[in-house]
Amino acid sequence: MFPKLDPLLHSELRLAVMSILADVTSADFTFLKKQTGATSGNLSVQIDKLAAAGYITVEKGFKGKMPCTTCTITPEGMEAFQGYVNALKDYLPL
Amino acid sequence: MEQNKEMTAQESLAIIAETVNNSRKSIFQRSGKYLLVWGIALTIVSLLVFIVWKTTGKQAWNYLWFAMPVLGLIPSYILKSKETTRLPDNTVSRMLAGIWRTFGVLDVSISIFAILYAHLGTSVFTSLAVAISLSPMILLLFGMAETISGVAVKNTTIKVAGLITGVGGIILYFILSTLSEDGLETTLRFTMAGLVLAFSGIILQVHNKQ
Repeated sequence: MFPKLDPLLHSELRLAVMSILADVTSADFTFLKKQTGATSGNLSVQIDKLAAAGYITVEKGFKGKMPCTTCTITPEGMEAFQGYVNALKDYLPL
Repeated sequence: MEQNKEMTAQESLAIIAETVNNSRKSIFQRSGKYLLVWGIALTIVSLLVFIVWKTTGKQAWNYLWFAMPVLGLIPSYILKSKETTRLPDNTVSRMLAGIWRTFGVLDVSISIFAILYAHLGTSVFTSLAVAISLSPMILLLFGMAETISGVAVKNTTIKVAGLITGVGGIILYFILSTLSEDGLETTLRFTMAGLVLAFSGIILQVHNKQ
């Protein structure tokens, strides 16, 4: 019996965002947008979903006069991400 | 990137690997820029000290070394302010910054010690200064910082460059020491170290070009 993959992470854009955030201390919206190639609207929606699940925290502030949204993975998010990667291994002949 | 695309396990892993890889490339490229800036600053100052010291014959020109933090910090600040996207830090970039900051603090401390020794002459510093030779120590620290940086970014060229700077720098130091008694020519060992640092910065940028 294969373990069920976390549906929140089993989505291309949300998985990409979580992969980046799992590797860095925190990342701002423009960096995530550039790395994923997503549109602002789509990225914003997916970030909200991850934040609502408690996987990431979103901090809105300013860098100089420019608004700046910073995302950070939470311990719960890291655990979910690790669980997702471990579950993937069962699907593959590794 | 599409949102509702059905993914296989292989595709999921590929997304994770590709995203992390690209993100790291951006971060390492920035680290490479800073290594290049500091390498150029070290090369310029060491050559400047060598030229003016040789021309005037005055050792006091060694105070020009204290211009190095300015020559390194100003371009670094300009580079940072010109970044269109604020790049995050990861474990490796934090480690790189920590390694070179530690080297900077140790280097400046040793330099201040050398100045105190020069001015205080036969004082409490004398016995210590006799026991240790400062320049080879700085070169060893430099080589070590460079090699550890190579280990952190998993780059063999940078690792080897660090070993060459550490060991080669000391060999060069003793060879150059025989050329003059005042140690003027030994200033060029830092030119070599500066060029190696700049080279490492270029390597890091080229290897992580997207």
